[in-house]
Amino acid sequence: MKRIASYALRMILYFILVAPLLLFIAYAFSTRWFFPQPFPIEWTLTTFQRAIDDSRTLSSMAQGIWIAVLVSLLSLILALPTARVLGLRKFRGRQLAWLLLFLPTVIPPLAIGMGLNILFLRIGLAGTIAGVVLAHIIPTLPYTIFTLSSAYARFDENYEFQALALGASPWNIFFKVTLRMLAPSLVVATLFAFLISWSQYLLTLLIGGGQVITLPILLFSAASGGNPATIANLSLLFIAPPILVIAATARQLNQHGNEIREQY
Amino acid sequence: MTTVNINSLNKTYPNQPAPVLKDFSLSINDGEMVALLGPSGMGKSTLLKLITGIERPDSGDIQFDGSSILNVDPNKRGAVLMFQKSYLFPFLTVEDNIGFGLKVQRASPETIRGEVKRMLDLIGLPGIEKRKVGQLSGGEGQRVALARALVTNPKLLLLDEPLSSLDTEVRMNLQEAIRVIQRELGVTTTFVTHDLGEAMAMSDRMALLLNGEIVALDKPETLFHRPRSMAAAKFMGVSTFLNGDQLPVKCEARSLSQKLFAIRPEHIRVQKDGCEQSLQGVVSDCVFRGEYVEYQVAVGEMSVRARMPMPAQMFSHGEQVHVRFPAEYLFEVQN
Repeated sequence: MKRIASYALRMILYFILVAPLLLFIAYAFSTRWFFPQPFPIEWTLTTFQRAIDDSRTLSSMAQGIWIAVLVSLLSLILALPTARVLGLRKFRGRQLAWLLLFLPTVIPPLAIGMGLNILFLRIGLAGTIAGVVLAHIIPTLPYTIFTLSSAYARFDENYEFQALALGASPWNIFFKVTLRMLAPSLVVATLFAFLISWSQYLLTLLIGGGQVITLPILLFSAASGGNPATIANLSLLFIAPPILVIAATARQLNQHGNEIREQY
Repeated sequence: MTTVNINSLNKTYPNQPAPVLKDFSLSINDGEMVALLGPSGMGKSTLLKLITGIERPDSGDIQFDGSSILNVDPNKRGAVLMFQKSYLFPFLTVEDNIGFGLKVQRASPETIRGEVKRMLDLIGLPGIEKRKVGQLSGGEGQRVALARALVTNPKLLLLDEPLSSLDTEVRMNLQEAIRVIQRELGVTTTFVTHDLGEAMAMSDRMALLLNGEIVALDKPETLFHRPRSMAAAKFMGVSTFLNGDQLPVKCEARSLSQKLFAIRPEHIRVQKDGCEQSLQGVVSDCVFRGEYVEYQVAVGEMSVRARMPMPAQMFSHGEQVHVRFPAEYLFEVQN
């Protein structure tokens, strides 16, 4: 009985997760689907093909990916030293530092966006990719710091001391020991940063000011247009990069996780 | 091949009132293995961190072959550490772990391969180059860690309780292996441990470290049988201390009433009949430990612990006995 209940619960959860995706697929690849028919009458690739052929779709995707990659990279560069201090050192004001670094997660993005917009307008970063990248770092940084500081809290500095005594330079230690020991958490942190940046709508709209168009901007504009096929097509394209990134990193994660587990 | 001189080293950690090391001085001869012995928290590991450069001393100097190393970068000192845990890099194979030091020093791949093979032969684990470190047992891991430490031809090998996490049999094997390899390569070595037996089995000299200071430094056999201070004697397992006037009437040392004498428990004899060198007492405890029997005897206000090798005459709790202190085993200690 318990097994049946657990199975049923699992199926319900899978259904909740997969149902919207199935709905998008049905809308994206069909031409005629009227109530009360449970499935579309005609299937076609035309609407999807049209969405891909639209230069705005591809350029917004490329721009979004480019921005997400830059944001991930910069977030990691900023988060690594911060996370090291927070994870490995005990110091006065540590709790306050945590609070300050997590503020962006509780402050409404609109407030952050408006404030940044005024600042970026003054310094000429509004409407530029650089401005959007900097704005995206604000919501991504708390998550990358949190992920990496947890990894550092479990990290044993003696691995670094060992490498140091064996003659490795600080850079060698960082790249050949520390980063490789932290690899699983680095992958997770990068994933967080990429996904948060990729799905940013409000900050991109406020800072990009219509000059920087990413897929969420295009998707929201299509949503207000009310064409379900277009919305479904863009939505499928919107979830494609995250799924690819998760699929690619899941293998890596598993591999590195096992190696580290073997040692402990 | 290095001579190490540590001169008047002082170290106090922030927010800690007492210094971890106080005016610490020690000389280690070329190719010698010196054990730093003492309970936990007495500054042993701190000393190793100061030598490797992980920490900086407040004052004092550390010299290799007469030259100070305090201003030498830690990665260029040639002082290699081996910890209680092997700290093999989990993402590298055995070969890459052993060759790590050579690789970062930009040795050629052929040299690295040759040296790794030589080291694996030396530690008695040939042919495991391609194995992942997760597949090694605790003892094998420590052997590989030793190979990784030695492959760089270090000036000083620092061993920080490298065997304490291993079970007895593996530990005994590794004690011997480390000693043999250390002698074969002639590498100057400092060995930190809180295990007296291990220190005696492995070292040329033992330094007893208490509260950041060396309280005794000598050859293992001398320190074990004739420690000069009461603190050192206690650490060496001595628990019977007598003033000259507490000794039996016929003991020559009795005339030295102001001096303090000690005797090891295995040299004290518990017997039924009294003699001129014995004192009368009552057995307060008797524990049979296989190879020997341990007695606790109340002699006046003093409690004497004696260890009699088996076969020995057995006495039970409350029995009247005589405790003999053979004069040749009594030694003077400083309080």
